[in-house]
This record gives sequence, C-alpha cells and structure tokens, in this order.
Amino acid sequence: MSISDIAASLHPLERAVLPHLNEQDFDKIVSASKLKDVEVMRALQWLENKDVLKLKETLTEIVDLDKNGKEYANSGLPEFRFLNALTEDPQSVDAISKKAKLSHEEAQKSIGVLKQRSLIELTKSKGLQCHITSAGKKFQNKKSPEDAFLKSLPREMSSLSKDDQELLHQFRKRKSIITVSVKKHRAITITSTGKKLLEQKSSIDNIKDHLTPEMLRTKSWEKNSFRRYDVSAPVPRFFSGKKQPYREFLEEVRTHFLALGFTEMTGPVVETEFWNMDSLFMPQDHSARDIHDAYYIKEPTHATSLPEDMVKKVQAAHENGYTTGSRGWRYKFDVKRTHRHILRTHDTAISPRILSSKELTVPGKYFQLVRCFRYDVIDATHLPDFNQIGGFVVEEGLTLRHLSGLLKMFAKEFCNTDQVRVVPAYFPFTEPSASLYAKHPEMGWIELAGAGMFRPEMNAPLGVKDPVIAWGIGLDRVAMFNLGFKDIRQLFSHDLDFLRQARGI
Amino acid sequence: MPTINFALADMEALIGKRLTEDDLDLLMTYAKGEFENYDKKTNEVTVSLDDTNLPYLWSAEGLARLFKGVLKLEKGHPKLEIKKSDYTLEVDKSVKEVRPHIAAFVAKGKKIDDYLLKQLVQLQEKFCESYGRRRQKVSIGLYSYKRITFPVKYTTVAPEKMSFVPLEMTDKLTLKEILEENPKGKEYGWILKDAKKYPILLDSKDEVLSFPPIINSNFTGRVEADDTDVFFEVTGTDEESILLATNIFAQALYDRGFDIFECKIKAEKPFSSPKPFNDSIVIPEDLAQSMLGLDLSKQDLLDLLKRARYDISGNKVMIPDYRRDILHPVDVVEDIAVMFGYENIPDAPLSSYTIGKRQPMTLQVNKTRDMVAGAGYLEVMSPILSNKSLLYEKMHTKDFGTVEISEYMSETYSVVRSWLTPILMDVLSKNTHVEYPQRIFEQGLTTQRTGSKITDSERIALATAHSDAGFTEIKQALDVVMKAKGVLYTLEPKTNVQCFIPGREASIIVNKKQVGIIGEISPQVLSTFGVEVPVSTLELDLSLF
Repeated sequence: MSISDIAASLHPLERAVLPHLNEQDFDKIVSASKLKDVEVMRALQWLENKDVLKLKETLTEIVDLDKNGKEYANSGLPEFRFLNALTEDPQSVDAISKKAKLSHEEAQKSIGVLKQRSLIELTKSKGLQCHITSAGKKFQNKKSPEDAFLKSLPREMSSLSKDDQELLHQFRKRKSIITVSVKKHRAITITSTGKKLLEQKSSIDNIKDHLTPEMLRTKSWEKNSFRRYDVSAPVPRFFSGKKQPYREFLEEVRTHFLALGFTEMTGPVVETEFWNMDSLFMPQDHSARDIHDAYYIKEPTHATSLPEDMVKKVQAAHENGYTTGSRGWRYKFDVKRTHRHILRTHDTAISPRILSSKELTVPGKYFQLVRCFRYDVIDATHLPDFNQIGGFVVEEGLTLRHLSGLLKMFAKEFCNTDQVRVVPAYFPFTEPSASLYAKHPEMGWIELAGAGMFRPEMNAPLGVKDPVIAWGIGLDRVAMFNLGFKDIRQLFSHDLDFLRQARGI
Repeated sequence: MPTINFALADMEALIGKRLTEDDLDLLMTYAKGEFENYDKKTNEVTVSLDDTNLPYLWSAEGLARLFKGVLKLEKGHPKLEIKKSDYTLEVDKSVKEVRPHIAAFVAKGKKIDDYLLKQLVQLQEKFCESYGRRRQKVSIGLYSYKRITFPVKYTTVAPEKMSFVPLEMTDKLTLKEILEENPKGKEYGWILKDAKKYPILLDSKDEVLSFPPIINSNFTGRVEADDTDVFFEVTGTDEESILLATNIFAQALYDRGFDIFECKIKAEKPFSSPKPFNDSIVIPEDLAQSMLGLDLSKQDLLDLLKRARYDISGNKVMIPDYRRDILHPVDVVEDIAVMFGYENIPDAPLSSYTIGKRQPMTLQVNKTRDMVAGAGYLEVMSPILSNKSLLYEKMHTKDFGTVEISEYMSETYSVVRSWLTPILMDVLSKNTHVEYPQRIFEQGLTTQRTGSKITDSERIALATAHSDAGFTEIKQALDVVMKAKGVLYTLEPKTNVQCFIPGREASIIVNKKQVGIIGEISPQVLSTFGVEVPVSTLELDLSLF
C-alpha cells in the first residue's frame, strides 16, 4: 500500500493516536490522546499491521508498599518505635507498647526482632521487664536503612542494590509490607513508512469518516476526502423480517393452480361425516372411519343441520344405488351418524360441497389447499396435521384420456419431468382411479398425485350430471425436497436460528 | 392396505412362466398394488395391495389368476369343479341372535407343507382383519379333516357350560374363561360383548372344533404339515361376505390342485356351499368408449373383458364368484381400462377456458403477511392442533370456547387452536438462547366454539421480544397493518384475556367491533414461559374486517 492509500484508509482511532506516536510509550499515548487503553491498543495494532510502527512489549517487576508497608513508611517500623520508647530504666512491655502505640502483636514482633539483634534484653521481675543494651542505644532515634528503603518505594526490581535485596527478602517474610507486581511496558518505534505518513499530517486531517448533512449543505465535502473502508471486513448479523419457507412453498403452489385456471375452494376444519365421507360414497363401516383414523370432537358431537334432502339421496345411494343402477353398498345407512362431527381428514371433503352448490359452473376447474387431520403417531414422517391440495375438473365429455393428460401436466408443472407413469389405483370414491408416479432425479419414483373419475353413486345425489375428474397431490415430500429438509417436522420448525437461515424457494 | 409375501418360485409355478423383478413391478400395477421387495436369499417377494374391496388378491393364487389374464396366458373365468358329497353342517336356530351365517367345504388331495400352510393362514388373517372388520363381520377356521366326524353342528351355548383346550394351550377353559384369560379371547372378546350365549362348532362326537370368532380347539383346529385334507368354515354377520370368503378359498385351493367337496348347510334355508353368486352385469353400449375416450371394437372389448377374467353370456358380463366389488358398470369399465394398459391410453388436453379465482381471504391474508414481514417480523408456522395447557393455563387466561378432540393420540395435540398469541409465546420460550431482538409472527386458521356454534377464523399474531420491547413498538406495527389496509381503528383499554400487564392492554376496535387485542405480556406469564425479556404482542382476526 502506498503512503497515501494508508493515509486514506486510517480508522478514526488510528488518526487519533497518530499525533501522539512521538511519545513512543503506550501509557503516555493513552494520557495524551484521552482514549481508552483498549482503543489505543487496537489502533496501535492496526498501525503495526500497516507497517507504520513496531510495538515492543517489556515486562518489569515493580516493588511497592503494601497496606502495612504504607503505614510503616509514614510512622516508622514498629521495632524502631519500640526501641525509641525505651529509657535507661527497665519498663514493662505493656508500658512501652502503650507509649509507642503498638498493638500486642506488633510489640511481640518488635521484641523478637530487637532481641535477635541484641538491642534489648528481657528480665523477669514483677512481670516482663525490658532493658536497652548499649548497642541498642546506638540505634535509638536514628534513621534506619529499613525506613529508608520503605520510603524509597516504589522501585523497579532491577534497580535494587544487594543490601536492598536483602531487606526486601526480610520484608517479604512479614505481613502485608511489600508487594511485587509485573508491569507491562509497551514501547513504540516509528518505522520509515510511519515517518513518511506523519509528514502527510495535513492531508490526513482532511479525511472524513462520515458524510454528514452539514457537509452537504455547506459543500465542505469538496475540501475533504473520505476514509477508505476494508470492504471485506465482516459486519454484525442483521435479522430481517421474512416469510416462512414452507408457507411460501404452499403459496407458490396455490399461485400455480390459479394460473392454470383453477378456482380456489375452502371449507370448515370441523366437518361432518356426511361431507367428509358419506357424500363421497364411502360406506359407513369403511376402515378409514374407525376411531383410530379420524379425530372426533367432544362437543358438539353432531351437527344440528345438514341439507336433509341430499342426506336422503346419499342414504339411498349407499343402500341401493339411488338412481344410478348401482347395487349400492346394501346396508342400513345411519342418519344420525352422518351428522357426527370430525376434524376434516382429507381435502376432498370440500369437493361435494362445491359440486352440490349453486356456485358450480360447468365447465369448471376447482382446487382446495387445506390443513387435514388424522389419528396417527407423530414421527419423522407424520405430522399432527398436514396440508393437502386437491380438486376437480367438471365438464361434459371428460374421459380417462383427459385424466391422464391432466396428471402428466402436473408432473411437468410440479416436478419438471416427463419421466412419469400413470398406473391403476384404488380410491373409494373414484372409478376408474389412477396414480401418478414421477421420477425425481434424487428421490427416485415418487407418488405425486392420485386421481380418478367420481363414481356415479357420488355424483347423482349431489345433482352432478357431467363427468368429474378428481385429483389430489401429496405436498409434503415435494416441499421437503424443494426446501432441502430432511425431517418432515422441520416444515413446522420453531427454531428461530433455523428459520432465520432457511432459504426460500 | 394389506402387505403379503410369497415365494417367487411358487408364483412362477402358478403362472407357468419365469418372472423378473421388472415383470413383478409392472404386474403389480394391474393389481393396484406395489412390488415392495424381493429377497434373493429367501426367494421371498413382498407386495402391497391398495384395493380393500378385492380380497382375492391378498394371496399368491389370486394374484397369479390376475397375472395370467394380463399376460394373455388364460382368459375368462378360471376352472372350478365342486364335487358332490354328503358332508353336512347342521345349524341351530339360536345362532341367529349372535352370529347367524356359516358356510363350509372340504378340500382334499394335496400335501400341505409349511409354505402352503403359511400362505393359507396369511390369506385367512388378511381377510378377517381387513375385509372381515377384525373378525366381527367374517372369521375363518381351517381344520384337520381326519379328526372330524361329520355331521358338524353350529350352535350356541352358555358361556360357562362348555369348555375345551384352546389352540396352542394345554388346559381346558370355559368359553367365559377364554374371553377373560386367553390372548385371542382378550383381543376379540369385544365382538361378543352383548351376547348371552356364545357360538360354538362341534362335530358329531361333540368334540369342539372352535369357538367362533375367537379361537379353534387345540385338537381339531390345528392343520399339520403332512395333512392332505382340510375342513374349511367361515362364520359371520354378513351372508354375502362369508360366501365370498368361501368362494375365494375354494378357488385358491382348487388352483393349487385340491379336490373341492361341497358341504350341505342345513339351516332354515338349506344350501350347499361353496355357493356361486352367478352374478352378472349389463354394460350399457358405448359406456366404455365414452368414459375412456378410446375407440374400441366389440371384439377388443370382449378380449379385454376376458383377460380381466370375466365371461360373456349374451349381452351380460359374468362376474367371477371370487369378486363382489362390482357395484356399477363403471367398475367393469375400469377393469377394461386396466387391461388395455394405462400406459397405452393417449393423453388428451383439457381444452375449456376457465378463469382461476382465489378466495377473497387468500388475498387479504397474503397482503397482510407481506406487510408484517416488511415491518421486520419473522414468520413461523405451527400445527393447528394444540392443547389447553398452552392456550389457557400458561397464558393465565380462561378458556373462551375451544373445539376439543374426544380421543386424542397425544395430549400436546388435543384441541384445535383458538388463538395464536400462546403459540408465539411457545416459540419464544424455545428460543431463549437465540440472539435478540426476536420479532415473530404467525398467520393461520383458528377455531372458536360458542356453545354449539363453531367458527373458523383467519388470524395473524405478532410478538416482539427484546430488552426494550414495549407497547409503543407493537402499536407501531399495528399502525403499519391498519394504515396499509386503509382501516381506521380505536383502542379500548380492556381485553377478554388475562395475559397482559393491567393498564398496558387494549382491544382493537374497527366499526364498533372487537377485531383483536394488543398489549405487554405480564411478568407472570413471561416467567411461566421462562422468557427473560419483555414481550409485547398483537393478534388480529382478519375474518372480521
């Protein structure tokens, strides 16, 4: 980087320390720049990275006074205070302590030190009596090397003489007189690049960090340039608002069907057995109706009203085929049961509602995209409730060939593949019935859709005269593939980190 | 959906042709089923069948019969010869009350090895469980012929008056004790819960054959690996279903090379079983062509019908006796299409012009979702099923009307959600380790119950959670939504829920109607959820304005 490039990319902190680099010492730069330690340190490291300076750290041991040491440096060491309080006549230890203002502990310690140096003697008569020796007298009221040493602190360890070191050794045995700490010293050497940079001081002063409204108003920007950024530097994470990926997939599918000319239908979550099953010509003892498949509700258990005319026709279809020529299922249809409430088990529950309504137009294409519910264990392949899309096409003259064409269009639209096969299938309400399998590049053959032509026993009670092709598409597996999910439960994930990072479609 | 196993070599022997895995894969589509697996080591093939109305296909013999038609190896009804005999079965009137119908036959002349026995038991079990409604409608018994002395009696006895050793057991138990103690008795006892007397099958020496539909006797009701002759009986509540079971088994055993001997059923209306249905149906002219869109000559149609194993008699299509799924001519038309081959049916495009229209609510909810996401909120999506503990207890709020499931699989999913705010609280409680601020929303269906009235409503709820979250911020979000919708609203400082800090909650009013609630979640609720930052929420019923 050229000197001017360095100058233009200096961070505000770097610019702040730059005028103080000549101090050549970290602490001095801190006090001169009025920045925080960490800010100066970061600035110096950045400058070092730009080869503007060299940082050298040295460690120094500092000898200093501790709590007691501070007191003794002022008022003298206790042993000398004890010594100074002695007179020609022997005195009791208590009297001396009192005179010298020493605690019992300090007095004991002083006696120990003084006796060892033979400056005092102790006798026992009327308690413990203390005498000063002739050697002791020489030290009375004199400046001691100990006191001088304490007063000289703090000092660097390396500056201590041999005698001082001996004193230090003695003091370190005593309580809270001396501390030794390690101090970091950071020295700064300005490189030749740095020297050249400092010569450009005036141009550095013209570099601005922010473009402000003030600058725009006064046009002062004309005289300035702007700091260059390190554009590759990472930035703090930002959490945007975002729509849920599975929901977006469902909306995409919905839009697709609208574009294909299908009209959207909807129906209630709480259905009756009538619309969910009976009107679809599923016999009332069909296994799909066992308590272990549909969810029944506590209250109200039954719907109070249904289109009773139609109920009668559906009943006839089940019992004897109604007007269709069918044999029917030949059992006694339970009219009370048909009113029973359940949670919708499949999207097709909505189709008979629309087929029998006045809104139906022929020819017509209809679809529904709804939540459905089945009594099932919840695991990696089953959700408590799931989305289904299905619908029908009603038009005079529809044939199995149209059904096949419709299914192959789905394969192209939703799996973008021509590798499909349409095979016979069984659904209770369609005849003929077919399943569409599409070959997915990674998942192999998957069942994409089921379809068929609604049975006459279903159409006749609903008043439908034209053929109806019904179809349904399994969404979950296609969604998982599209979204790259491994576990079906991820479709309803509550993990915000996952949702923040999940890609859309 | 029944799944069955058979040996590949057995299937090849029944058809008279070698089969590859690809052949099986294709053939199974004709049976509306799937080829699941072939185990080279054991030579075992696994397939699944979708059509619950075609139980004859739940056996190797039935599938082979269909495959022979597909492969043009055999056409029309399969051969079945029923030999006359003096075997009789006397039916006592009392069975009418509990299990009125019975049919039976004797099959003789082929060694029953382990494999064949397994095949017979497999068909018996699949038939009784699925088509027989867990033995209630139909239950089947197979017996070692040599241990039975004819005539056989079908009658009823008091639960304590009769005892025998049940299959695989060593001690004699009364019928009552069987229901109380035997595993099969416990499993199927529900079928007889209202019966005062129980059905029983005895031979002329009063040796118990079985206690239908529960269990066979350990003496007669055990077919052994070197038996060559078996007695078959089926009892049930539905006459047609038991006759169908008899026909299916008789045909399967005949296909295997057994001689089938009739059994005379001496009931109120005596008959000889197996009893053919001799059923037929007339297919209206051109129905097949008009439904399938195919140009088929009469000869083509006849050929396809015969490959589907129908016979033709005049203008009538004769239905084989092992099928009772034909309710209407469309059922036969489907078989024509299947034999024609779905893969051979040329596609036709839909040519009518129709205009796609969405539900008005779809547009509204999606525009609202766009705005809320634009305001910085992250969308979540949850199951609609929830639980009262989350919806009310943890929200310190009284139940305001909920649709509850009567027999749920899991407590966690035992009601239909009535509001969304608790679900957002649940999400926040699971994400306390995730970086804040957390601003989330969910849009979706909720269901409320007022007495017997059930209403679905499309709602949206927002929650903001971080150290400075508060009423002002959530009210700003409300402003964003309402202004974009061009809706004027007022706030009334009270709500019908108890989850907010008093004095920091409001009902959202549009056109004098309450359409939502807004407020700061109370510290009590936050601590219940273990959320350690302030949370403010808003919930709107989009169906109301």
